[in-house]
Amino acid sequence: MLRYLLFLFFVLPPFLLFSQEKSISGLIIDASTQEPLSFANVLIKGTQIGTIADLDGNFTLERVPEDGILVVSYLGYVRKEVEIGDEDFYTIRLQSDAQMLADVVIIGYGRESRRNVTGAVSRLDGETIERLDPPNVAQALQGTVSGVLVTQQGGSPGSESNIRIRGISTNGNNAPLIIVDGFQFEGGLNSINPQDIESMTILKDAQAAIYGAAASNGVILITTKSGARNQDAQFTYQTYFGVQETSRKLPLLNATEYALLVNEKYANAGLESPISQVTGLGRGTDWQNEVFSRAPMMSHNLSVRGGSETTAYSISGSILDQEGIVGGSKSSFDRKTASISLESDLRDNLNVNARLFYFSTRNKSLNSFGLGSVLFNALNIAPTIDKGVDDLTGEINLGNEVVNPLTQIRNTYNDSRTNRLSGTVQLKYDYARNLDIQARMGFNTALTQNREFIPVFNYGPGKVFNRLEDNFVSLAKINDNDYTFDVFNTYRNIFNDRHDVIFTVGMTVFQQKGEGLFGNSTGVPANSWDFADLSVATGSGDNRGSASYAYDVRRLSYFGRLQYVLDDRYLMTAILRRDASTRFGPNNRVGYFPAVSLGWVLSEESFFPNPDYLDFFKFRGSYGVMGNDRIPDFLYLSLLTGQATYVSGDDNSLINGIAIGPLSNPNVKWEESRKLDVGFDIRFRNNKFNFVIDYYINNTKNLLVSDIPISGIFGVSAPGSSSPTINAGSVRNQGFEFEFLYQESLREDLNFNLGFNFATIKNKVTAIEGRDVLEGGQFGVGQLAPSRMEVGQPIGYFYGYKTAGIFQNMDEVNAHASQIALGAPAQPGDIRYLDINGDGVIDENDRVNLGDPIPDLTFGFNLGVNYKNWDFAGFLFGSVGNDIVRNFERDQPNVNQMSYRLNRWTGEGTSNDVPRATVSPTTNNVFSDFFVEDGSFVRIQSLSLGYNFQRSLLDRIGFNQLRVYAKVDNVYTFTKYSGFDPTASTGVPIGGGIDFGFYPIPRVYMLGVNAQF
Amino acid sequence: MKKIYLACLVLLFATSCKDDFVDVAPPFSINSESFFESEEDYHLALVGAYDLLQATFVNVLMGEIASDNVNAGGESPTDVIGWQQVDRMIHTSVNSNIRDLWNYNFAGVQRASWILENEDRIDFEGKNQIIAEARFLRAYFNFELLKWFGPIPIKPQGQFQLGDELSIPRSPVEEVYQYITSELLDAIENLSVSSVQTGRVNQMTARALLGKVYLYWERFPEAADQLNQVINSGQYHLYGTQGNERYEDLFEFLAENGPESVFEIQYTGVQGAGFDCLQCSEGNVMVGFSGIRGYVGPVFESGFGFGLPRESIFNAFTEGDLRRDVSILDIEAWAAETGASFTIGNQDPVTGHTGYYNRKYLPRINNNQPDANLTQPNNNRAIRYADVLLMAAEALNRGGLNDELARTYVNQIRNRAGLSDTQASGADLFEVIKNERKLEFVGEGHRFFDLVRWGIAEDFIEGFVSPKNNLFPIPFEEIVFSQGNWSQNPGY
Repeated sequence: MLRYLLFLFFVLPPFLLFSQEKSISGLIIDASTQEPLSFANVLIKGTQIGTIADLDGNFTLERVPEDGILVVSYLGYVRKEVEIGDEDFYTIRLQSDAQMLADVVIIGYGRESRRNVTGAVSRLDGETIERLDPPNVAQALQGTVSGVLVTQQGGSPGSESNIRIRGISTNGNNAPLIIVDGFQFEGGLNSINPQDIESMTILKDAQAAIYGAAASNGVILITTKSGARNQDAQFTYQTYFGVQETSRKLPLLNATEYALLVNEKYANAGLESPISQVTGLGRGTDWQNEVFSRAPMMSHNLSVRGGSETTAYSISGSILDQEGIVGGSKSSFDRKTASISLESDLRDNLNVNARLFYFSTRNKSLNSFGLGSVLFNALNIAPTIDKGVDDLTGEINLGNEVVNPLTQIRNTYNDSRTNRLSGTVQLKYDYARNLDIQARMGFNTALTQNREFIPVFNYGPGKVFNRLEDNFVSLAKINDNDYTFDVFNTYRNIFNDRHDVIFTVGMTVFQQKGEGLFGNSTGVPANSWDFADLSVATGSGDNRGSASYAYDVRRLSYFGRLQYVLDDRYLMTAILRRDASTRFGPNNRVGYFPAVSLGWVLSEESFFPNPDYLDFFKFRGSYGVMGNDRIPDFLYLSLLTGQATYVSGDDNSLINGIAIGPLSNPNVKWEESRKLDVGFDIRFRNNKFNFVIDYYINNTKNLLVSDIPISGIFGVSAPGSSSPTINAGSVRNQGFEFEFLYQESLREDLNFNLGFNFATIKNKVTAIEGRDVLEGGQFGVGQLAPSRMEVGQPIGYFYGYKTAGIFQNMDEVNAHASQIALGAPAQPGDIRYLDINGDGVIDENDRVNLGDPIPDLTFGFNLGVNYKNWDFAGFLFGSVGNDIVRNFERDQPNVNQMSYRLNRWTGEGTSNDVPRATVSPTTNNVFSDFFVEDGSFVRIQSLSLGYNFQRSLLDRIGFNQLRVYAKVDNVYTFTKYSGFDPTASTGVPIGGGIDFGFYPIPRVYMLGVNAQF
Repeated sequence: MKKIYLACLVLLFATSCKDDFVDVAPPFSINSESFFESEEDYHLALVGAYDLLQATFVNVLMGEIASDNVNAGGESPTDVIGWQQVDRMIHTSVNSNIRDLWNYNFAGVQRASWILENEDRIDFEGKNQIIAEARFLRAYFNFELLKWFGPIPIKPQGQFQLGDELSIPRSPVEEVYQYITSELLDAIENLSVSSVQTGRVNQMTARALLGKVYLYWERFPEAADQLNQVINSGQYHLYGTQGNERYEDLFEFLAENGPESVFEIQYTGVQGAGFDCLQCSEGNVMVGFSGIRGYVGPVFESGFGFGLPRESIFNAFTEGDLRRDVSILDIEAWAAETGASFTIGNQDPVTGHTGYYNRKYLPRINNNQPDANLTQPNNNRAIRYADVLLMAAEALNRGGLNDELARTYVNQIRNRAGLSDTQASGADLFEVIKNERKLEFVGEGHRFFDLVRWGIAEDFIEGFVSPKNNLFPIPFEEIVFSQGNWSQNPGY
C-alpha cells in the first residue's frame, strides 16, 4: 500500500506545471551586513538565461519564465535559489559561507546545512584525517568524535578496528553501517585510502532512521574527494616513511628468577626440583626482545583534481607498505588503491557523477591472539632455553602448546590477497521546478584469495603444532558481490519566504551474493612454500579435500523524509522507512522504522536575549526507531549443515551423512532500537567557541543473540550444530555527550584550535526473555563462563569470586568457609574468597559482579597550532572505568611468568596480594577479581610538527604548497593495566574485555612530505 | 513533458519491486522440511547418529579416571582440571568435562530421535533395519547417560524442542530402564542377525546391550537370557583362541572388528582435527590423551599421558596372567628394553605419574593427520565378547540360575589369559567374577560402574562418598537452564 502512495507522490507534482515569461530586476546583499555584493552570478535554473550583477549589486533579467527559479551564487557565500513570483523586484540576501561554518552535512539521501540539522550528527573533516593519516581510517575516529569508541583488533599490520557508536546496543554485530558516496560498503575500512576521504559524517541518533533496518548501530557516511569546477589541474603528492616499534614489553622473569621460582613451586608441592643447576643461568633469553623488532612502513599518495565549467574530475592512486613489529615480513600488509571520479553536467538539468575505486590488499599474518600465538609463546617459553632450539626435546616440559616462537615465525607461510572494485554511478535529473530525481547504482565486487602452507616440522614431542608425517596446503577463493540501487525524488520549495520544505521519497534495493571455494591437500613437493599449490601436491583420497559455500541476501526498502523549516528557526524532520529482508522468516519479514526530530533556533527569536557574544543557540530533539538485521542468514530455516561423518569398518574410509546444523528459530524478528536524543548547539564570539551537548537514551529491544547458550539436550554440541539465534531481551544505553571546539587567531601568523569531547555511557540490561541470565566469554580452562547478561546489570559484566587477601596461616584457613567446592582444599598462601551468601561454603553461588568492560567515560582532546610556517597537532584520547580481564597467563607449572609473581606469598606476613607458588592443584586460578584489572587509560595518539615552505620560494619552483613533517603515533599510554594494551578486547558484547594475549599496537615514528603543484 | 514521462517510467520501475524480491531460498542448501523423502536420506541421517558414538571417548577415559584403576595424569595436577577433580572425587557440578559428557551423549540421543520422529514419513524396503539401528543408538546414548547421571529427561516420541527443558522432568531411574529396555526389545525385532556393514550394529549387539542394561537393573534372568542368545549365536569367540590369532594382538589394529567385537566404535586418522571441536574428530581422542608423554621410540606414538594405571592394578595380576602386559605398559622397563625416551608430566602423588600406561589404548605408529594427538585411529571396543561372557556369568550366578554354566564362561576368560579353571561357586564365584572383570577390563572404562552397581565403590575408590558419588552431578549450567525443573543429584 505504502508503495502506491509513494508512487502517487512521485508522479503528481510535475503535472501542476505551466509557464509564461516576464522581466525582473533585483539587488544582492550580504544577509548580515546588508552590504551589496558586487558581480554576483544570477541564473535562471535549468536555462541559459543569466547575468552578472553590477558593482552595486543590482541586476536585471529579461524574458524570464514566470515559474522560474533564480539561482544566485557568489564566491564565499551559500548559493541561494529564489522562486520568481508576482513581484518584479527581488532583494536577495546571501549567507556568508563562514557563518554557515562551511558546513553542509550529509544525512543520507540528501544534505542539510549544519545549522538546520535536527539530529545528533558529528562530522570529521578531511583535514583532521590528513593530520592523523592513519593506515586505517577508522583510527581517525579515535577520540576525535564524541560517543564513538574505536578499538583496534590488534597491532598486526592490516588489522581491522571495532567501531561502537554510543555503546553496545546489541549482542550481535555492533558495527555501524558504512555508506561510501551513497552505497553500502562492506569491505572493511582498512581497504580505503584515507587520503581519498573528504569527510566522514556520523549519524548517532534517530537521524539515521532513513537507513531503517541497518541503522541501529549508527551510520558512518563517507564522502570521497572530488575535483572542483573551474579549477586547473592540481596535483597532490603525499608520502611518509615510518618506523614502528612495540609500545610495550611485559615484565617477565629472567632465567635465574624463573629457575628459582619453578623449583620453589615443586618444592612447595613436595616434589623434586626440575632445574638442578640454577647458578650461572644469568638472564637467559629475553624472548620478547627476540620476537619484537623495528619494522618499516611507508605510504605514497598521488592525486590530480580539477574541473572545467561543467565537469570536475579526480584521479588518485596510493601505496601503503607495512611490516609487523613481530615477524617482520612474515606479518605484513600492502595496500594499493586507485580511484577515479568524474562529475559533469550532461545537460543543464542532468548531472552525472561516476566514481570507481580499486583496492588491492595483500596480508601475511602470524597467529596473533591467545593460545598458540607468537606472543603467547614468547611470554610462556622458558628463558632458560636458547633461542636457537627449534625442537624442544629434552628441554624443560612446557606443555604441548608452548613452542619456540622464532621457529613458529619461520614456519608460518600464508598469503591473503583481496582485489576489490567498488563504484557508483549517480544520475541527478532536475526534471521540473523544485523537483529532482536521483538514481544511483553502487557496487562492490571482491575476490579474496588465501593460501596457507604448513611444512612438516617437529617442534618437540607431543607439541600441537607438529606436522610429523606430511605437510599441508590450503587454498581459498572467495567472491563477494553486492550492489545498492537507489531511486529517490526530492522536492524542495520555499513558500512565502518562511516555509522551507524538502521532501524526499525513494527506494533502495540491496543485494549481497557470493561464494567461496576451498581446497586442501597434503604432499607439497620439497616441503616448500614455493610449491604450495594443489596442482603439484600429491595428496589423494582423504588427504585431499574441498568445500564451498554460497549466499544470497537481499533487502528492499522504501523511505520518505520531510524536512521543514519555518522562519529559519523552527525545524522539523520526519522519516519513515519500510524494510523487507531475507534474513527474517515470512512472518517477520517486514519492518517499519519511523523517526521524528525537532529543532528550535532560539537565537533567532526576538524574545531571546541575544547578547553580542552569542552567535547561535539551537535546541533540538529526536526520537525514532531503527532496526538491526546483521545476523547470519536464514536463521529461520533449519538447514542440514551439520557434520555427519562416521567410519567404515571395512576399509577405514570416511562415510558422510547429513545432520541438522545450527538450530533454527522460525520466529526470529527484527531487533529494534528506540533512540531519544536532546541536545544543544551553541556558538559564541564569532563562532570561535562551539559547543555541542547531547543527552541520549537508546533502548534496544528484541535483542538478537546468536549462539545463545542452551541446554545440551538439544544436541547443539553435535559437530556442525550450534545454538539458535533468538530475540533475547532489552538493553538501555544512556549518556551525555559533549563537544567543544575553540578556534582563535591571536595574530595574523598565529592561530590555534582546541577541541575537547567526552561521552558518558551507562549500559543496563532491562529485560531477558524466558531466562534469568545469558552467559558468555571464556576464562581459563574448564571454568564457568566469566561474562553475563542479567537484568539490572551492564551487558557482559564480569561474574566471579571476590577475594579478600591471602590466607596467612592454617588458623585463618580453618576459620574461613571451606573452598573445596572450587576444586581443592585451601592452604596458607592461597587466595581467600568471600562467602557472599554466608552459607559457610564457597561455591558458585558466591560469585558477584566484578566489573564490566564498558567505559563510564571516554574522552578526546586535540590541539592544533599554526605559527608562521610551522604547524603542530596533538591528539589524545582516553577511557575511564572499563575493566579488563588478564587471561593471558598460562596455568602450567613450568612456563615463564610475569615478574609480579616474585612478590608471592612465601610464609606468614610475606604477601597479601599474590598467592603462593606451587604445582599442586589450588583454587587460585578460578575467575576472581585477582584477574580483573582497571583498564582505564589515556593515550597520546599522535603528535606532529610540520613546516610549510614560503610561498615566494614555492612560486619559483612552481609549487602551491610544500609541507614537511615529523609525526609520532601511539606516543604513550598512561594506564595501570599490566597487559600489553588496555584496549585489548574482542569487542564481543558478552565476553568482551577479556585479554587472551594481544598484539600491541605499535608506536610509529614518521617523516612525511605533502606537496601540491 | 517528455522528461516527466521519463521520470515516471523510472519511478514505475522502482515501485514495481515487490516483497517477493526478498523471498529467496538459501542457495544450494538442504532444508529439513524437504528431508526424509528417500531411502538415501534415512541412510544419511543414520550416519549422523553413528557419528556421535565417536564422542563417547570421554565416557571411557573419564570413567576409567573415576575408578580405582588409574591416576588422572596429564601434564600437571591441574591439566584438564575436571578430570583431576574426578580422580580425587572432589568434582562438583562445575566441571566442563562432565558437561561435555552430558552434551555429547544427548547430542547422540537427539540425532537418533531426528530419524525416529520421521520414521513414518515414507516406506521402503530395509527401513525397519535403519529405524532399529537408530533405536539402538538412542538406547545406547541414554544408557550411558543413565549410568552417569541417574534420572534423565526422556522423550520417546522425538527430538527435544526448545522449552522442553522447562517442562520435561528427569524421569526416575526405573522409568528410564523401562524405556531403554523396551527400545532395545523393539530394535531386536527388526535388526538383522549379522551386521549389514562392518561396524554397524546387529541383533546380537542389541541383545548384548540389553543384557547389560538388565544386569545393571539387576533383572538377572532377563539379562542371562539375552546374553546367552549372543553366546549361543556362534557369531563370536574370544580372540586368540582360534586359528593363528594371537591374544596379544587383541588391541592392535589387526584385531579390529574381529571375532570378539560385539560392538566396536570406529575411528580413523585420515582426517585432521583440532581442540576447538574434540567431538568433531574422526579419531579416538582418548588414545592421544592416553599416550606416553614426550615419547620417542618404537611401536608407539606420543600423547598427553592421561589415565595412568596405578601400581596396585599392575600388581593385581597373578603370575602368568597374560593380560597384564597386554593391558599395561611398564614404561621404564619398556624404555630400558627398547631405548625409547619419554618425559614425565604430572608428578602429583595422588593424580600423577605412575610409571604405567594404558597399553590397550596407546597410540600406535601410524600416519594420522594433525593434530595427531586427536586423530588416533584405534577403535574403541565398546562391548567385547569377553564382557558378554562375564556379564552372562554374573547374571547366572547372582540370579541363582546356573553356576555351572557361569563357571564355564568365566573359565573361558581365565584360560585365554593363561590361567587355570576356577572351581568356585555361589558367593565365591561372584568374587571371582568381580576380580576377572577388574583385570579383564582395566583401561576400558567399566570398572567405576561395576563398583557402583556392586555397592562397593566406597571400599575401593579414595574420596568416594556413598550414595553421593554413585552418580555424577548434573552440570551446573543445566540446572540454570532448566530454571528449577531439574534438581541436582543428592550431595552435590
